[in-house]
Amino acid sequence: MEGAARDWRWSVLAYALALALTLAVTTVIIVALGHDPIPAYRTALKDSVGTIGGLSQTLNRMTPLLLASLAFALGFKAGAFNIGMDGQIYAGAILATGVGFLLADLEVGRIVGLPVALLAAGVGGALWILLPAVMRVVWGVNEIFTTVMLNFVATLLVEYLATGPWNDPMAGEAITLPVPRGVTLPMLLARGGAHSGVILASIVALAAWAFLYRTRAGYELRAVGSNPLAAQMAGISLRRVHLLALLLSGAAAGLGGGIEVAGVHHRLLLGLTPDYGIMGILIAVLAGFHPVLLIPANFAFAVLVAASDSLQRTVGFPSAAVFMLQALVVIIVIGVQALQQRRRRFVI
Amino acid sequence: MPSLTETSGRGAGPSFGAEPPFVHAQGISKRFGAIQALDGVNFEVARGEIHVVLGENGAGKTSLMSVLTGLYQADAGEILVDGRPVRITSPADALRLGIAMVPQHVELVNNLTVWENVILGREQGGLFLRRDHQRQQVAELAQRYDLPIDPDAVVASLAAGQKQKVEILKMLHRQARLLILDEPTTYLTPQEVDSLFGTLTSLVQRGMTVILVTHKLRDALRIGNRLTVMRGGRVVAAGVPASETDELQLVRWLIGGQDETGQLLEAEPLPPLGSEAAPVLQVENLSVQVPGRVALRDISLTVRAGEIVGLAGVAGSGQRELAEALVGLLPTAGGRVLLNGTDITAWPVAHRLDAGLACIPEDRLREGILPSMPIVETFVLGLHRYLFPDGRYRIGKALEAANRVIDEYKVKTPHAWFPTAALSGGNVQKVIVGRAVQMCSYHRHPALVAMNPTRGLDVRTVRDVHHRLRQVASQGGAVLLVSEDLDELMGNCHRIAVIYQGRVDAVFDGPDYDRYQIGEYMLGRHEREAG
Repeated sequence: MEGAARDWRWSVLAYALALALTLAVTTVIIVALGHDPIPAYRTALKDSVGTIGGLSQTLNRMTPLLLASLAFALGFKAGAFNIGMDGQIYAGAILATGVGFLLADLEVGRIVGLPVALLAAGVGGALWILLPAVMRVVWGVNEIFTTVMLNFVATLLVEYLATGPWNDPMAGEAITLPVPRGVTLPMLLARGGAHSGVILASIVALAAWAFLYRTRAGYELRAVGSNPLAAQMAGISLRRVHLLALLLSGAAAGLGGGIEVAGVHHRLLLGLTPDYGIMGILIAVLAGFHPVLLIPANFAFAVLVAASDSLQRTVGFPSAAVFMLQALVVIIVIGVQALQQRRRRFVI
Repeated sequence: MPSLTETSGRGAGPSFGAEPPFVHAQGISKRFGAIQALDGVNFEVARGEIHVVLGENGAGKTSLMSVLTGLYQADAGEILVDGRPVRITSPADALRLGIAMVPQHVELVNNLTVWENVILGREQGGLFLRRDHQRQQVAELAQRYDLPIDPDAVVASLAAGQKQKVEILKMLHRQARLLILDEPTTYLTPQEVDSLFGTLTSLVQRGMTVILVTHKLRDALRIGNRLTVMRGGRVVAAGVPASETDELQLVRWLIGGQDETGQLLEAEPLPPLGSEAAPVLQVENLSVQVPGRVALRDISLTVRAGEIVGLAGVAGSGQRELAEALVGLLPTAGGRVLLNGTDITAWPVAHRLDAGLACIPEDRLREGILPSMPIVETFVLGLHRYLFPDGRYRIGKALEAANRVIDEYKVKTPHAWFPTAALSGGNVQKVIVGRAVQMCSYHRHPALVAMNPTRGLDVRTVRDVHHRLRQVASQGGAVLLVSEDLDELMGNCHRIAVIYQGRVDAVFDGPDYDRYQIGEYMLGRHEREAG
């Protein structure tokens, strides 16, 4: 009848409201800073999507965010909270870089080198979450703490590698030697500097959707996330599902790290992830944890970040306000979702 | 059966003399979202009567009582107490006027004594309790109203029926003049029901007024002076004297239809049971320990093909643990469980389901559904093992099966994609029962464990669920029906086993059961007599 239609309308309302309020607050700030908002917006739009260079930056920024938010969503769908995506991104980057160095000696081409390096990145992310995952399913240790704790370990490990054994002596800073060309991603928009990682990340998101909604294992995973007790009574093993969900989650984040190495930096360095993990959580919430909706949501988020960078350059828009706006968007969307839940109770 | 209405010594009639009714609600309306819960309801209660409010689930009984006790505010209408209009905006307001609700789910502090519970929130004295004085007060109150409760007993040690009386005592202590009881007999043994009704009769003899909300016709006719019947948020029969009506008339009012009413009252016959029927579900000397106690001791029970066996018992006697042990959620400490001759004691849940075990869980919302997912996905939970053997989730197949059940069981939903959490309890249960029945259909001799499958459902749905259980049995299945409602068990079971403190000491053969004898076992009295 009208139930689904109503849901749909509520979601649109939520996003429209968030967009309107974001624009309103931004406009107020720009005017308060003594600038004319229209030309400022025009430049911001150009810098984020209107030029090849701007669009490339947006796509490049969107890629690790998409994989980080997908990682969070995969765990969340099973009722598990992996919030250590930053650690897994680093772990993925470490393994991709290490495999890259190994392959350099073998002199393999991109056809072999790239898939192997990216696969290694996924494995790295999964390995990094293995300990928290096992602790969760065997002893019931809350994965929120263990995953986030390992972020620090990963950061220190990267610091060690970048200053120690893999250090680039010519660079004079904490970065590793460059990986060989055989493990770098081909360009998508060569003129603007966009690498093809965004395609790969989008394919992974679509594959995650197909897994969740078109396989029995994916259904079991979602069932556990919705009601673990009911799932258990239906013969679904919570342990197996949680282990699988967390490993997939770690692998998605790890792949994000690998893509950053193979596509953007071509080496391992500290600061590879400026809190992509945390932002990934926000975006996953915004997109309702839906793998396909994550793609436009991450694009929009990347546009928002690029546009506010631009505003910072043109009108001196405070960088702290960017985070404020992001938070505002999330609060509005969550608030409207909560309202929708309340109303839903009285439908039938 | 002696009529309690007569012994109360009051003439039953719509008007109790010239004085205005004690409580008179006029034109009460209340809407929740799309649902008109109350639609111009007129309702009056006279002083010193037991007034029964009858109605199906969703008829508006509880909403009306909530308006009277200030839990909800009516959208329209007014309430008169002793002829004067009043505003009731909170339970405290209602209590000031003498109106109190006796909670449906007992809300007592278990490790305090009876008198401490009664005075809780009404303690007298400053920093220190005046213990002796207040204890004395409670004891006197119990005596005055003839409530046989020891004020020094710790609440945890009391049976359900006694706890209910503590709740009544608590309201008397708060100077209530009108007690509202919402479905008070649901989980009581026949003995406890008798005792409660005796208490209520003696309360009205001492000047109290009682509103009893129920959907049980027998209780209504037995205890009520007058009856008000509600349907779909309206009053369809107001203040009818109990002596002037009968069960058939009440069902007509409750249901509204004419044709099927007789049929609804009449029990459907049980499928005949062959004497050679093979055992399907066998429990042999099963013991289960949960942290801190032994939940089940040495239970033996057999359910044969085509048989419905009831498990009677006061709530918390171990029914839940037995069901969980059968499904495979609780490890066993001793004994065996066999399904069609195969020892499944050590099997995980999934293998048991594959071998033909199905379950209707006790708490349908907590254990039965996927609240955030659509109905079709709740429906296939468990069934998915049969529907998608190759690991591919075929949504078309799931939809086809779900739509069939939605049609066949008349589940009220716009479509199969509707969120499960938005369904009402009765509709949720239809989905869960449909799922369990279909899981049974994949096996020649399935075993179905049904935990309180009809709790809180309306007459039609209850009958529907019972029909499905019979269907499973008649097709060769074995049904273990666990219920705290003895009437349900007596009407639907070939045999009834009684569980008391984790033990099954007696199994009774139907169809002619002695309800009081079963009640004795439910209360554990057989032990005390023997010992």
